[in-house]
Amino acid sequence: MEGISILNGKYAVSMDMYPLQDKNYNMVYKFYDNLKEGRFTTTKCTDCGARSFPPRIICPECLSENMEWVDLPSEGTVLVVAEQEAGVPLGFQAPLIHAHVDLGGELTYLGRVQNCKAGELKEGDKVKLVVIPIEPVPADGKKGAVIQHERVFFVFEKVK
Amino acid sequence: MERNVCIIGGGMSHWGVRQASARDMFQEAGKACFNDIPGLSNKDVDGLIVASAFTERSCFQTHLAPLVAEYLGIKPKNICARVELLCASGSSGIILAYGLIKSGIADVVMITGGEKLFTPQKWEVFYSELGTGDHDWDGSQGLGLPPPFFSMVAQRHMKLYGTTEEQLAMVSVKNRRNGLNNPKGQFQKAITLEEALNAKHVVAPLKLFDCCPVTDGASAVILACEEKAKEYTDKPLVYIKGVGQATVNNMSANMPSMTTWEALKIAGNQAYSKAGVKPSDIDVAQTHDCFTISEIIESEDLGFCEKGEGGLFVQEGRSDYGGDVAINTDGGLLSCGHPFGGTGIRQGIEIMKQLRGDAARQVEGARTGLTHNLSGLSAAHTVLVYGRDI
Repeated sequence: MEGISILNGKYAVSMDMYPLQDKNYNMVYKFYDNLKEGRFTTTKCTDCGARSFPPRIICPECLSENMEWVDLPSEGTVLVVAEQEAGVPLGFQAPLIHAHVDLGGELTYLGRVQNCKAGELKEGDKVKLVVIPIEPVPADGKKGAVIQHERVFFVFEKVK
Repeated sequence: MERNVCIIGGGMSHWGVRQASARDMFQEAGKACFNDIPGLSNKDVDGLIVASAFTERSCFQTHLAPLVAEYLGIKPKNICARVELLCASGSSGIILAYGLIKSGIADVVMITGGEKLFTPQKWEVFYSELGTGDHDWDGSQGLGLPPPFFSMVAQRHMKLYGTTEEQLAMVSVKNRRNGLNNPKGQFQKAITLEEALNAKHVVAPLKLFDCCPVTDGASAVILACEEKAKEYTDKPLVYIKGVGQATVNNMSANMPSMTTWEALKIAGNQAYSKAGVKPSDIDVAQTHDCFTISEIIESEDLGFCEKGEGGLFVQEGRSDYGGDVAINTDGGLLSCGHPFGGTGIRQGIEIMKQLRGDAARQVEGARTGLTHNLSGLSAAHTVLVYGRDI
């Protein structure tokens, strides 16, 4: 019968919690290429020197299009921790641990901490970035072919 | 020539876990709004702004404003569009309508906002929240549902300023008690301090009653130029005096401070200066109490008390009836619930009633009021000042 089963096996970008990383879909794909090589990078403006995160194609300070890729620290210090035990979003396991992390004074952001038990992570602890594989995006190719766009992402782990 | 703009009526559907569709609730809200203005018919409305954030995600419905116009029997000729700023969609709609009327582009505009968030499977709305911050950079870290972020905000505020879990709980006790003033809100039940403190953790230190719920619902108001307002209503006129809306960052990496909300201070100062008022002139306010810690920081950054004293402000009763400024007199998000696009409009309705003098529980002699919405991970702030005097 007719209905939602038409969607079985289909990929919908609007239901994908991870970004499209392939160069067909964005202009900062080099971030993900670098990440696949274990490098955590972002863009810096070669005209005014402003470094942005997330990476850009245009400098938000001076609007220059002259950007270079620079490495960021991959180890940081925990400023504050949030532990969610119940009601975590589909796709994440409880406890879902987030930390506000200071990466060597160069960048702070809210990151997920994997392989961490509730109560294990405290303010002042050291964490490091690790690269994890993410399910590929199945894109339409020519003549019914399916092209798998491989993906990675980055999360923190506690330095033990 | 710039014109004076009045809020002349408002109403809402029942809010909560509704056995109703979004379009059902927009009809209920619209009808309740028209009932508040007996002298005005749906045919008198010349503009419609619809505020809804999740319409595509939980209803599969884009191009919402013409649909709502059709259902409410409105035939707009000056504006008919939807506006989205997540939790501040409703007050964004009011600001845009205010500008259109002030400048003479429209005369009588309805702003209606709401959401259908309860879908057949519970995971969907929580999953969709991953798109509410920066999807590619924060959402992919599992950030979208706000409790983890606001837990960190609370922890930092407690450490910096000595704010206590009891003070957080006092916000929910006050707002749940005030929620008895709004029979259409999600909850009609006061709670004790012990109940609030003994509730289970959502994300520590935030417990169940520190967090607003998921809500279905809609609300609607009508703004009109002063001349038309006098024609359509005999009730005391309530003016929009000043507005501000600000953002200084979106992704978490660019947040200047977790505990001082720069965008709120900017939006508040814009609204105060355009209105020609000071924080101490505000008699009644509806601020965005998505979490108890939010109301505490808002009372600081809106200038109702000194920085760091937001906990004491609620503890000493200064944000309650009889205090410096009564905050969330109809229960706020903590009691009424929070159907994103509906919230700023509900706040506007309560302030309008307080200033008209016909609120369910009246702040005596209130002449100046304020509404505030935050949206995203505290990434944008929206402030409106209303008053009986222009």
